[in-house]
Amino acid sequence: MKKKNILFIFILFLVPAAILTISFLKVKNDNPVTLTLWHNYGGQMKDKMDEIIDEFNGTIGLEEGVIINVTSISGSATLHEKLTMAANGDPGAPELPIITTAYPKTAFILEEKGLLVDLEEQFTKEELSAYIPRFIEEGRLDKGNKLYVFPTAKSTEVLFVNTTIFNRFAEATGASLKNLSTFEGIINTAALYYEWTDKQTPDTKNDGKTFYVSDSLFNYTLIGCQQLGVDFIKANVINFKDPSVSKVWESYFNPAVQGHYAIFDGYASDLAKTGDIVCSTGSTAGVLFFAPTVTYADNTTEPAELTILPYPVFEGGEKVAVQRGAGMCITKSDKKKEKLAGIFLKWFTSPEVNLRFVSSTGYLPVTEEAFGDIMLKEIDTISDANIKKLLLVSREMQMQYDFQIAPLFDGIDQLTDKYNNNLRVLASEAKDAYWSHSENGILKEALTSVLKNKYKDFSDFK
Amino acid sequence: MNRLQKQILQKFNKSGTTSISMRLRLFLFLLVLVVTMITGIIVILLVSGTFTAGLTESKNLIRSELERSSQEIAEQFGQLSVQTVEFSRELSKQLEEELDNQNLSMSELSEHPDKIEALISGVYELTYYSLQRSKCSGAFLILNTTVNPALENAQYSRAGLYIKNMEPNIISSSSPNLTIFRGFSSIGRDKSIDLHTQWSLEFDIIEAKYYTVPQITATENTELSLSRLYYWSDPMILPGTSEEVMLCSIPLIDSEHNIYGVCGFEISAMLFKLAHMPYNHIYSRMFCMLSPISDNYVDIKRSLFAGGYSVKNMSKSNSSLRITENTKSFTTFDNKSGNIYVGFHSPTQLYPNGSPFSDENWVTAILIPKDDIVDSITRLNLILILLLSLLVTLGVIISIVFSNKYLKPISEGIKIIKSTEPGEHPKTNVQEIDDLIHYLSVYKKELNRKLEQDKYQLLVLEQFVEKTKTLSPAERSVFNLSIQGLSAKEIAEQMYLSINTIKTHNKRIFAKLNIASKEELLLYINMLKEVGQELV
Repeated sequence: MKKKNILFIFILFLVPAAILTISFLKVKNDNPVTLTLWHNYGGQMKDKMDEIIDEFNGTIGLEEGVIINVTSISGSATLHEKLTMAANGDPGAPELPIITTAYPKTAFILEEKGLLVDLEEQFTKEELSAYIPRFIEEGRLDKGNKLYVFPTAKSTEVLFVNTTIFNRFAEATGASLKNLSTFEGIINTAALYYEWTDKQTPDTKNDGKTFYVSDSLFNYTLIGCQQLGVDFIKANVINFKDPSVSKVWESYFNPAVQGHYAIFDGYASDLAKTGDIVCSTGSTAGVLFFAPTVTYADNTTEPAELTILPYPVFEGGEKVAVQRGAGMCITKSDKKKEKLAGIFLKWFTSPEVNLRFVSSTGYLPVTEEAFGDIMLKEIDTISDANIKKLLLVSREMQMQYDFQIAPLFDGIDQLTDKYNNNLRVLASEAKDAYWSHSENGILKEALTSVLKNKYKDFSDFK
Repeated sequence: MNRLQKQILQKFNKSGTTSISMRLRLFLFLLVLVVTMITGIIVILLVSGTFTAGLTESKNLIRSELERSSQEIAEQFGQLSVQTVEFSRELSKQLEEELDNQNLSMSELSEHPDKIEALISGVYELTYYSLQRSKCSGAFLILNTTVNPALENAQYSRAGLYIKNMEPNIISSSSPNLTIFRGFSSIGRDKSIDLHTQWSLEFDIIEAKYYTVPQITATENTELSLSRLYYWSDPMILPGTSEEVMLCSIPLIDSEHNIYGVCGFEISAMLFKLAHMPYNHIYSRMFCMLSPISDNYVDIKRSLFAGGYSVKNMSKSNSSLRITENTKSFTTFDNKSGNIYVGFHSPTQLYPNGSPFSDENWVTAILIPKDDIVDSITRLNLILILLLSLLVTLGVIISIVFSNKYLKPISEGIKIIKSTEPGEHPKTNVQEIDDLIHYLSVYKKELNRKLEQDKYQLLVLEQFVEKTKTLSPAERSVFNLSIQGLSAKEIAEQMYLSINTIKTHNKRIFAKLNIASKEELLLYINMLKEVGQELV
C-alpha cells in the first residue's frame, strides 16, 4: 500500500481523535476549580466582601473557571489561632484554605513550615511596582527575600472622637478638639473631662468618667517612642532604660490610675457603644465597629457623631503612625490553584475594586493609583459619612506621616500580649490602691506614693 | 527470450492490472473484521448501559450525599430541638430560684427593672454552657420585661441575653470566639467577651416571630408539653446584622404555668454551610439546601445553603424554585430566570408528632447546576468515544501492517517466479510458496527443454525450405505435385511425362532435399503446415 494511503488513514482517524480530545479538554476546563478563602472582614464588612467575591465569581471567575468559596470569617485573633492550629495539624483543626488573610506574624509561622507560596512568582515586577512600596515590603519575609503576604487592604491608627459627648463637654468647659492633636493635650483634656463628669453627680464623689483608651497599648508605646526618636524594641527586647520609653509608658499609666483613661481588655468601640469613653486611638478598620448611637445602662440612647482626627503626636515628636492591616497569603496546593489564587489577588487589589472595598470598610487602598486621584474622584460617592472622613484623614496622614511597622521576630506575639496584659494588671492594681485612699481625701498625696517605682516594677515583670 | 515467452509474460502481466491486489483485498478483509469488532463493542456498551453509566453514577453519588446530609441535618436540628427544651427547663428553674431569693415572682419582675441585670447576669453561666455543649452558633433568652418601661418604644424592647459564637465550627475548648449580641455590657466586661459589632442592650421584638410565635402557641395550647412547643424560624437576618440565622425558640414557663419569655439556640448560615458541605471532588458546585416546601415550590430566600455555589446570588430576582420529579432521572429545580438545578430531595422532619408546627414541611436537597451534570456525562462519553476511535485507528494500523507482512513472501515469490532462474533464488520460508516455486522451476525447465526441441525442429524445417529453393523448375513442379499427395504415375500423367522421368526427378529431389522417401517428404510438409508455412 502506498505511503500516501497510510497517511490518509492516519489523518482520517487522528483528526476526529484530536477534535474529541480538544472537546474533552474544553469540557474539563468548564468544570470550575473551587478555592477556599478565610478572611477577617466580618460584621458590616462581610456584606461588601460577599458582594465583591460574588462579582469575581460571576465575571473573572466564570472566564477562568474558578469559584472563591468563603469557609471562615473570624476576627484577627481567632483567624491567627485557626491558621496556627491548621498549620500544626492540631486535632479538630480545619484544613488550610487556599487563600487567607493573615498578618505578617501569622504568615511568619506558616512560612516557617513551608506552607506559603512566594507571591513574586505570581506577579511581575511591573505589576508589583503599582503597589505602595512600604505595603509590599511589609509582606516580605524570609529575610526580605520572598513575598508571602500580599497587601489587600491596609490600615493605620487614627483618633476617633464621639463629638456628641465632646461638644457637650467642650461647651461647658471650653475644651477644644485641637488639644487632641497631642498626647499631652489628651492627658489634660481627660483630666478635665473626669472633673466635669464627676461634678455631674454632686452627691457621688470621685465618679468621673474615663475619656480615652488605646486599642493596643503596645502600639501606643511603640509609636510614641518612635515619635520621640527612640526604638521601643531593641534586639528583640523592650528598651526600658531609655527615658523616652518611660515617658510614653507613664503617659498612659498615670492617667489610667487616676481614672482618666480606661483600662480595658477589649476594643475601644465597646466602651464607645456605652458612652464609657469619648475618644480612642485604634485601627482605621475599626470605624465600622463604632455604633451610630450610644446606649446607656438605662437603655436610653443618643446618636453618636463620630469625628476622626489624625493620630496624635507627643509634643516635640515627629509625625509617626503605625502601619497595620492583614494581607492575603496563598497556601501551597497545586500550580493551577496557586495561579488562579494569584488571579483573584490581582483582581481584588486592582485600583477600582480595591477602592470600592476600602470605601465600605475603613481600610486603606494599596495601590498608588487608588490612593491618588481615584480616591479624590470617588470620595463623594461614598455613602458612609464616617468612612468618607476616615479616607480624607488617611490621605492627609499618608502625605504627612511616617509609618512604622510592628517588629517581627519569633516571640513578638508573646511579648505584645505580655506587655498589654501586664500594663493593664499593674494599672488596675495601682488604680485600686489609689482609690482606696479616696475615702480619707488624700488622693493627691496618695498618687505620688502609688506611682512611685511602678515603672521599675513593670520593667521587672517576668 | 523468444517471442513465445514474451507473449506468455505479457498475458501474465496484463491479468495483474485489471483486478484488486491481494494486499488491498486482505487489508479490506481485516478492516471489516475490525469494524465488526468495534461495532460489537459499541453494541455491548449500549446494551450494558456503559454510555449512561456516568448518569447512573451521578445519581448514586447525589443519592448517597443526600442520605448523609439529610441524616446529619435531621440529627443536628433534632439534637438542638431537644437541647432547647432542656435549656428552657433549666433556665426557668434557675430564674425562679433567683427570683425567689429576691422575693419576687416573674410577673412582678416588670415592676422591678433594676433587678433584671442581676437576674440575667445570674443565668449567664447556664447560657454559656448550654451554648458550648450544643452544635450551634448562638444561645439567647428574652424576658417579657424591659429595663426602662418609660422609654418611647418600650413595648417593643425586651431585656435578655444573646451570646453568639463567631466560630462555631472550630473545635477549641480553650477560647471560643464569643460576643455579646444582646444584653448588658457589664456581662461582657466581667467575662472579657467583646460586644458584637451590632450590639444592643435589648431585643427589638417588632416582627420577631421567634419571640411571639412560641408564646402565642403555648398560650393557645396549654395542654401541650414543653417538648411540643419549640419553634424553628425561617432563615432570616436579625436587625442590624448581615448573616442569616435560623433560630429554635421555646417559651420560658414557670412552675405556675406563666409564660414570661423565650429562649433558644441559633444556627448561622456559616455554621450550616461548614457543617453540611457536600463531600465530593467531581461536582465542585454541588450544594445542600434546607428549605420549607409548599406546593412543589421551595423558596431560596427561606433556605439555608451549604456548598461552593451561591444559588441566592444566581437567582436574585426569582427566589422560588419549582420542583419537577422524574421517576427515571433527576428531580429538576428551576425558576423563571432559567436557572436549572438537578438532584434529589427528601423530607426533613423538624417537629415531632403532636407539635402545632408539624404540618410545616421541610426538605433537604442535594443539587447541582444542570450544566455541570451535562458536562460531566458528556466528558465521560467523550472519553469512551475517544478510546473507541483510538481502537479503530489501532485496528487500521494493525490491518495495514498485517496485510503487508502477510503479502510480503507472496510478492517475493512472484518476483522469484518472474525471474529467469527461479530455482536459484533463496527460499521465502513459506512452504506453500516454496513448493509452488519449485514446481514452477521444474515446469520451466521442461518448458525450456521443449522449446529447445522446437527450435531444432524449426531449424531443420528452415534448412529443408532452403533446400527446396535449389530445385530446378521441372523438379519443383514434380515436388509441388508430390506434396499434394499425387503418386508418380499421377504426376507423369498430369505432366505428360514418362513415369521414369518422374522417378528420375524424384531421385534428384530426394537427393537435393536430403530425404530418403516420399513419406519423409510429406512429414516435412506436415511439419511446415503445423508452423504455418506452406511451400506451395
